[in-house]
Amino acid sequence: MPEVKVSGLHKKFGDVTVLNDINFTIREGEFFTLLGPSGCGKSTTLNCIAGLETPSSGAITVDGVPFVDTHKKLYVPTEERNLGMVFQSYALWPHMSVEANLVMPLAIRKASKEEKSVRIHEALETVGLSHLKDRYPHQLSGGQQQRVALARALVYSPSVLLLDEPLSNLDAKLREQSRAWLKRLQVELGITTVYVTHDQDEALSLSDRIAVMFDGQMAQIGTPAEIYEKPATAAVAAFVGSCNFFTGRLEGHHGGIALVRLDNSGILVKVASALTLDKGDAVTVAVRPERLSITSRTADVTGANVLETTVLTRSYVGSRYEYGLKLGTNVVQVISPSGDLDGAVRLVFEAEDALLYAGSSVPSAEAAELMTVAS
Amino acid sequence: MTTTSTDKIVRPTAGRSALPAPKYPRVFGVGRGRLVQYGVFILLALFVLAPIVPILYQSFRDRPLYEAGGILTADNYGKLFTDAGFGQVILNTAIFAFGTTVLTLLIAIPMAVLVVRTRLPFGRLLGLSMQWPFFISSLILGFGWITLYGPAGFVSVQFRQLLGFVPWNLYSLGGMAVTEAVGLAPIAYVFCANALRQSDASLESAARVCGAGPLRILFQVVVPMLRPPIVYSSILIFSMSLETLSVPLLYGTPVRIEVFSTFLYTNGLQSISPDYGILGAASTLILAVTIGTVAIQAKVLKNAQRFISVRGKATRPRLLDLGWIRWIAVVAIVIYIIFGALLPILGLIFRSFTMIFTPLQNPFESLTLSNYERVFTFPVYVQSITNSIVVAVVGAILVSVLALLAVLVARRSPFKFARSVEYLALAPQAMPGIIVGIGFFWAFALTPGGGWIQGTLVAVIIAFGLRALPTAFGSIAPAIMQIGNELDNAARTSGADWFGTFFRILRTLLRPAFVGAIILVFVTMMKEYSAALFLSSANTGVIGTTMLDLWVQGNTGSVASLATIQIAITAVFVAVASLFMKGHTDA
Ligand SMILES: Nc1ncnc2c1ncn2[C@@H]1O[C@H](COP(=O)(O)OP(=O)(O)O)[C@@H](O)[C@H]1O
Ligand SMILES: [Mg+2]
Repeated sequence: MPEVKVSGLHKKFGDVTVLNDINFTIREGEFFTLLGPSGCGKSTTLNCIAGLETPSSGAITVDGVPFVDTHKKLYVPTEERNLGMVFQSYALWPHMSVEANLVMPLAIRKASKEEKSVRIHEALETVGLSHLKDRYPHQLSGGQQQRVALARALVYSPSVLLLDEPLSNLDAKLREQSRAWLKRLQVELGITTVYVTHDQDEALSLSDRIAVMFDGQMAQIGTPAEIYEKPATAAVAAFVGSCNFFTGRLEGHHGGIALVRLDNSGILVKVASALTLDKGDAVTVAVRPERLSITSRTADVTGANVLETTVLTRSYVGSRYEYGLKLGTNVVQVISPSGDLDGAVRLVFEAEDALLYAGSSVPSAEAAELMTVAS
Repeated sequence: MTTTSTDKIVRPTAGRSALPAPKYPRVFGVGRGRLVQYGVFILLALFVLAPIVPILYQSFRDRPLYEAGGILTADNYGKLFTDAGFGQVILNTAIFAFGTTVLTLLIAIPMAVLVVRTRLPFGRLLGLSMQWPFFISSLILGFGWITLYGPAGFVSVQFRQLLGFVPWNLYSLGGMAVTEAVGLAPIAYVFCANALRQSDASLESAARVCGAGPLRILFQVVVPMLRPPIVYSSILIFSMSLETLSVPLLYGTPVRIEVFSTFLYTNGLQSISPDYGILGAASTLILAVTIGTVAIQAKVLKNAQRFISVRGKATRPRLLDLGWIRWIAVVAIVIYIIFGALLPILGLIFRSFTMIFTPLQNPFESLTLSNYERVFTFPVYVQSITNSIVVAVVGAILVSVLALLAVLVARRSPFKFARSVEYLALAPQAMPGIIVGIGFFWAFALTPGGGWIQGTLVAVIIAFGLRALPTAFGSIAPAIMQIGNELDNAARTSGADWFGTFFRILRTLLRPAFVGAIILVFVTMMKEYSAALFLSSANTGVIGTTMLDLWVQGNTGSVASLATIQIAITAVFVAVASLFMKGHTDA
């Protein structure tokens, strides 16, 4: 199974720069996900790998074979790249039966009759649909169409599998099941896979590594745990999982612990950080709701940060509770197992539970507005 | 649950060795797809420029372009206005085109609103009957109108008997404009009707909730929505009336009223020693005007499309009830259809079976087949019928193939000049038939070794084909936009090159649109004749040119019988082709 190397990828549509210096290397057999909000350039990146778009500049090699290199004016057309691709709309050819859809790539490759039937049988077995091979696409459910599309992409044993939001057209329940199934399938096949999605849950649960993109820029590449636990920027923290953001000013910094005075309440909090910043600099503190804990005023607590707050809202979200607490002019989201807290409470977190980012980088004005209350 | 059956994962496909991707041969380092794309581009460029370049060249030359030793001069343009009286021609054309446009809109807009948005008795039937001009050429419509409303027409004579005079004069700019408007109204009608069908019903519902009555809704909500299609169709109608030949030729020649097209006709064909310089200069100026209007039209359409295609909403607007007014509306529409189209055509058909057609004598007494006999005793006339069929059949296939390729290159390829291909394919819209005829005539004369083509059916097919190309392109392009681009991309990743994608995937999906284009082009080419006036020789006339010849000889009975034959051929072809298409799409 080959490795995919993308370097210095740029793409412009007219004057609009859609991809700006994208670099990554996908290891053999890896499940690699491009994650980002819609319109950030994921599909364009995938299409450059597939050859459906030509980059404005940059190079892509697969298994050491250069597919495109704008410096050397080299471009291998899509049809000669031998990649398997599944599209968001599945793109099954509507006038052909399931079997005919699978025959086509084999016929193009001039496979023998036995080879065709063996491969088609195997591919359909793999996706569990061999009993439907005479159906036409419109006679299949969305989930079945998606699996036929996958079988069609696998039937000629391509070197790399490219998936562009293949689950996004399925309804929620089926999407979760298909996700688990897809993961098992990929592990079993061991095929190098590039997966595109805007759904962070999908990315976290499926991937070996994730590349997070915003506005055509690569924000962070890492394992799901790294992306979630140590987001490189506030934007990544906001996009992957939910997160509370508080702006503030740096008061001091010693021994890897920063002291930050929060704008919303004037409270001083301790945050573990390796950032080298000057006193008085604007910073943003980010804490995930499940890293915060709530205790009643009466309980005895110890912790690096203990903040006095009051409960604004409480809702049961299945197996745990989500609280909205008032901290100065901000609403703080907290996930807690106990559902009996009310009134004045304490908010507790360790210095290591929070993340510190330079500048006051609140993700979006609209989100910030929603999280503001009158003091 | 659909996923449970897949829980066990059987022998993975990846256990097999990869099947290598196909290798495609390259010529000069480019694949066959690129070669086809360049081929289509060059062919279209030649096709479109061939008639234009000689005209431009001739317009600046002091003698016929095949005579040696000419010098370049702008004198032709001066002579055009001084000796040839082109100023009056421009004035006539402007009055005619403007009048036609206004009259067309006066007929089309109320009709569209009434048929689409109000409860009308026989509304659907009335809407369907607006398709008639698709089958009938304006030449035949002109003959029909003269048969009924001309100075000696059936209806005119009746009026003269009753009143002592005829209250109208068909052979005038006004008469031309009325006839042309009747023929063109359905085009404007279609644009307005589509806009009305696709418009959002919730606006109207809102007005209704506010207590607005049907008339108020009509004028304050419905009519303003029509602005884009009205702007677009008026420019379209205007540019079509700038180039039309039939009606001005039939009505204008006896009374010496000349417009653009008839000026070219008389100066190029009827004068004993045509002044090629003047012909070239006039053609150039006319081309400049028509290309200008078509360019505006394209620009307006771009904006209008945004407005027209508000898709996805399946809310059918409720039909407004106009009460007793609707009966007036129905009567007005029926008068238009019966007196504008039905009676003239039926009159013409009836005329073909009689010796004399006048209310002064019962026409049933002189029923005869002699009009047809005369047509069939002269081999040239019979030949013109078979020529028409050959030209239409061969042309329909060739033009549809070329249009299909052009659509694929323009809309579905990464080709550098994809946009130019589209413009080239649509450009002939701006080229009047008679200018296409003159242009190709000169092009063949100029091309070394091109002489053999002069006067053959090949020349006729080429010229008619150019005229029909935009029609074919326009009917295939929407169909390809309905086919998701991802189907192509899936084929490409599966290993098909650009050409293979067409042959393996798009070909089948586009078949209905292709057959539709063939039908459309057949009918268009069956009606076409103006480009052949310059190009055909004695043996290669088509029905249209023969009708004109017979008309000039005063042989109206035979004209009527040829018109009937042409209508019959078209009707039979369309019926058979539609049946064939139905059988295929059902399968
Ligand atoms: N063919 C195109 N022409 C112009 N702009 C395009 C084209 N394709 C994509 N874009 C733009 O590029 C950006 C990235 O698109 P895409 O890669 O499809 O985003 P994603 O898949 O992440 O949602 C979008 O802003 C989109 O509007
Ligand atoms: Mg996308």
